[in-house]
Amino acid sequence: MELLGNLALGLSVAGSLAGLGYCLLGVTLGTLVGVLPGIGTMATLAMLLPITYHLEPNYALIMLAGIYYGAAYGGSTASILLNLPGTATSAVTGIDGYPMSRKGQAGVALFMTAIASFVGSMFGVVLLSLFSVPLARVALQFGPQEYFSLMFLGLIAAALIGSGRSIRSLAAVTLGLALGLVGLDLNSGVARFAFGMPELFDGLSLVAVAIGLFGLPEIIANAGRIINTPPEAKTISFRSMLPSREQWRRSRMPMVRGSGIGAFFGALPGTGGVVATFISYATEKKLSRHPEEFGKGAIEGIAAPEAANNSAVQAAFIPTLSLGIPGDPVMAIMLGVMMVHGILPGPNVIAGNPDLFWGLVMSFVIGNIFLLVLNLPLIGIWVKILSIPYHLLFPVIVAFVCIGIYSVNFQVMDLYVLLFFGFLGWGMKSLNFEVAPLLLGFVLGPMMEENFRRALIVSNGEVSTFLTRPISGVIMVVSLAIIAWFVVAGLRHVAGRGRRTSENQNA
Amino acid sequence: MLDYLKSRREDVIAGLVTIGVGIFILTEAFDYRLGTLTRMGPGYFPMLLGVIMCLLGCILVLFSEPDAPQGATADRTVKRGVILVTVAFLAFALLIERVGMVPSVTVAVFLSALSNRSTSWLTAAILAVGTAAACWLIFSLLLGLQMKAFW
Repeated sequence: MELLGNLALGLSVAGSLAGLGYCLLGVTLGTLVGVLPGIGTMATLAMLLPITYHLEPNYALIMLAGIYYGAAYGGSTASILLNLPGTATSAVTGIDGYPMSRKGQAGVALFMTAIASFVGSMFGVVLLSLFSVPLARVALQFGPQEYFSLMFLGLIAAALIGSGRSIRSLAAVTLGLALGLVGLDLNSGVARFAFGMPELFDGLSLVAVAIGLFGLPEIIANAGRIINTPPEAKTISFRSMLPSREQWRRSRMPMVRGSGIGAFFGALPGTGGVVATFISYATEKKLSRHPEEFGKGAIEGIAAPEAANNSAVQAAFIPTLSLGIPGDPVMAIMLGVMMVHGILPGPNVIAGNPDLFWGLVMSFVIGNIFLLVLNLPLIGIWVKILSIPYHLLFPVIVAFVCIGIYSVNFQVMDLYVLLFFGFLGWGMKSLNFEVAPLLLGFVLGPMMEENFRRALIVSNGEVSTFLTRPISGVIMVVSLAIIAWFVVAGLRHVAGRGRRTSENQNA
Repeated sequence: MLDYLKSRREDVIAGLVTIGVGIFILTEAFDYRLGTLTRMGPGYFPMLLGVIMCLLGCILVLFSEPDAPQGATADRTVKRGVILVTVAFLAFALLIERVGMVPSVTVAVFLSALSNRSTSWLTAAILAVGTAAACWLIFSLLLGLQMKAFW
């Protein structure tokens, strides 16, 4: 009954007036930025970061986490109504959500995404509360080998799974790792890749890099666009939102499967929500008895990815809080906030700060209930917000991004970093490189190098140490198996194409 | 054969760029002390990354990747957005430490607002002043952010 005691402790933190207030603030802001295309979670976190330094760490994290999972709810709204995903993870929801709204079923689609999101989130929270403590206990015995192998697996999985261009993704990850090394080397004090600029000695600002890669292209792409609210959006009444019995029945299993897929990829550092949504969508399409309906408004096509997305978001806290390995940039920011408050990320966080961990867990439950209210009876408000003309909104976003990035370190250099990465992201996209793996490499780069070095010091330079230690060995074998799988698939593809070209030449 | 090469031009360019970045990382890495596997210097890990980059680049040049769709194309509306939004960020960066938040926000919002053709000068100006006022209210008065509001 240790769990009950812990949950009660969590409730005393999250259920306090301040806890409830910051949670509500977080999820409301999260929904808002999720609904609005062009402001990502990162930009919002960047803006609020300076404020959180003055808050108690429990409440700071409750609020920041609320923004993160709140945005996962809100992202689907614009996706369904405008076919314009509010967040990257809700792109899949638009595939079937938008056709549904064209058929006058926008209400049903919005209702189902809220329910699926709730189901997925709760599934993720349950896993988080069940597995984090045992995982942290195991992780206390982890050496640098295990940490390195885990991050290696995360990066390999992120680059290879769910990406059509595996070599490019691997190159992006590698570049990200190198960019993560910019700054002073902690062991030797040598400034690397700093080109004599002392502003770079502390490394590149994560917020500037992330917004540069993702936020800036989004703002620019939408800057010239004029978006009109579709008429479907104005006629959403609560009655029109209720799904039919048939629709309920068809959504049930996809939600369950989506939650499972989401939790798996969310807990694996590196892959996360985007991959989970794509895979759960593909799974439903494959399992469905009427795959031809997918893309034309199949309700399974929104229920599964939405459950997967939100389950992944909650499960992402598992490696972050129990191992100290951030699965995505947002998690890296959360760890940064913890460090500002003197909490060292790693397996000791849960045991050393039970109020923080269980407070967060309970705040997820409360926050998701808030979100259900925000997204069902109050959905009309968000739809109205969507009808704010974007060409008047994005200059305001530009201003907030500027202030947000500048105020993290009060360094003008961070703004140049933002622009540099904006152009880098644009250049990479035009050569068909994905930027998400780069960002992940960037986040994990310093930790990976540190653990790689330490592992080899401990083992006296034996590289085999990663394979001979049991836990590390298993993780490494899994990673190598994934690589082998892709090498074989790649070779088959090359061989197949060679045969086809020679046939063409003969014909 | 020529068609085959041409269809893979994008992969070849991507591969060459990757190799170029890899070589750049390598040259930087060799500037730092490499050390040995047991006692790695600051250059060792970057050196490994540079080697991996070069290898991946070579693979890209040699083998094409499965069905690569078209990359991003820039039309005129996008170009206008790229230029004006970039200039807006640059203006903010150049102004913020000289004249403070309120004037910098005004300029940045005004410039970025103009990147949409349907926004008139007047609308942009009103939006800029309004946003600056709101930022002043939120960040300086309410949140007490340590940022100069005016010069």
